[in-house]
Amino acid sequence: MTLSYVPGDSLAHRLDPRSKLLVQAGFAAAAYAYTTPRGLAALTLLAVACLFLAGGGPRDLWTYRAAFPVLLLAPLIAGATLGAPWFRVERAAATGLASYRVLLILVVAAGYVRSTPVRDSRAAIQRAIPGRPGQFLGVGVALVFRFLPLLRRDLLTAREAVRARGGGTLPVRERMRLVAVAGLNRAFGRADRLGTALNARCFAWNPTLPRLALGPADLPALAVGGGLAAAAVATVV
Amino acid sequence: MIEADGVTCRFGGAAGGAEGDAGVVAVDDVTLSVADGEFLVVAGANGSGKTTLVRSFNGLVTPDAGTVSVNGTPVSDDLVAARSAVGMVFQDPRDQLVAATVGADVAFGPENLGCSHAEIDRRVEDALAAVNMAGRGDDRIAGLSGGERERVAIAGALAMEPDHLVLDEPFTGLDEPARRSVLDRLRELHAAGTSVIAVTHDLRDVLGLADRVVGLSAGRVAVDDAPRAAAEKLPGLDVRVPASFDFGETGGPTGREPGEPSEHETGGPTDQ
Repeated sequence: MTLSYVPGDSLAHRLDPRSKLLVQAGFAAAAYAYTTPRGLAALTLLAVACLFLAGGGPRDLWTYRAAFPVLLLAPLIAGATLGAPWFRVERAAATGLASYRVLLILVVAAGYVRSTPVRDSRAAIQRAIPGRPGQFLGVGVALVFRFLPLLRRDLLTAREAVRARGGGTLPVRERMRLVAVAGLNRAFGRADRLGTALNARCFAWNPTLPRLALGPADLPALAVGGGLAAAAVATVV
Repeated sequence: MIEADGVTCRFGGAAGGAEGDAGVVAVDDVTLSVADGEFLVVAGANGSGKTTLVRSFNGLVTPDAGTVSVNGTPVSDDLVAARSAVGMVFQDPRDQLVAATVGADVAFGPENLGCSHAEIDRRVEDALAAVNMAGRGDDRIAGLSGGERERVAIAGALAMEPDHLVLDEPFTGLDEPARRSVLDRLRELHAAGTSVIAVTHDLRDVLGLADRVVGLSAGRVAVDDAPRAAAEKLPGLDVRVPASFDFGETGGPTGREPGEPSEHETGGPTDQ
């Protein structure tokens, strides 16, 4: 399963994407400003609330499974030493909290992705950042959301094709090489076909963007996002 | 009207066509026209140049020689006008669908054309109704069947309100109900005045709808005739045609539901 927009009528679905972007940015800033267990506990509640308000659940986090080993291994590697005492708990704990912060940010991002159509994200970015930079960033975000799931599916297909012909018995390194080469070839082909499809439908840098409107429901979201950002800034000042 | 005049498309080869390395000639000096409202079938074996030819109709492929005009304007002069006038449905709809939901994908073309929100909504509604998917704008594309994706791809092209609709191997990978559904939609679109250009190597589905059949071989036009006359010549081009078909006086097939196999239908040209 790949995380993507899921049509729905949750509170997060009804919010303006700009409000949701502000909550995301504020949350990320607060997560890096408040590194104590108590601060992270509060942010955990908020992150879980964001995901549930978008109609999501633990199942959505499965998309991030590739990141979990890295997040888990990071504290162990940080704590390890080459000599006595062989493992420093305080270092591992600090890195563990950092890993946990990343996980929380991913949870909030999952809530955003499943509740926001790609073109709404593009519109929000292009309106928040005027001119060419906003257009470039908006198109980039739209293409990444479109291209990554396809790329991931191509890699899975390549892996299955290798296995289907007995490749499962090959050394890991050889399997990785085969899947990487096949995946790369498919990625180039996919990019080529996607480019042709966009051209066929008159791809434009300045299309008619969806209507965005801040409503009463956005006020709490704006307050939360702004509050988190302000709280993060307060720790620096 | 689409007019191709002496179109040649070449792939690969050294720049400037250096001696001994001219690349592969996919389309070789093709001249043909497609009238408004016509149902044209472009037939040919794999590698005969049919996809390359139709992609030159809206500037997705630039000919190395010759010109293509749409409604009197050379394609190279106004790509947006050409792509608005010639809608394209690719062989694999997954290559064409660019959004997560049906409505967002169908709206993609009109948004790029800069239409107003009301116009976009109208076009999306009309296009989805035309492919029998009205009210399914919020459906996730990932959850659609192959036939439904094909219909969404057609709706995406229709939302550009083209004069001509090009479909590249529209029945590949579709099961029988999906194939019939797409055929029904094409029949209705043609009846409503849209010119349809179907690219295929298997004419069993579309011969019943065609006004004219163009057969390509090695990039050249080998057959350009009414369906009855064309059906007799096409087996030599390694394409699949029905063994018998009930043709009317006009040279077009009649009497049987298009796409419905006849008792004598063959599995390929070798069975003729």
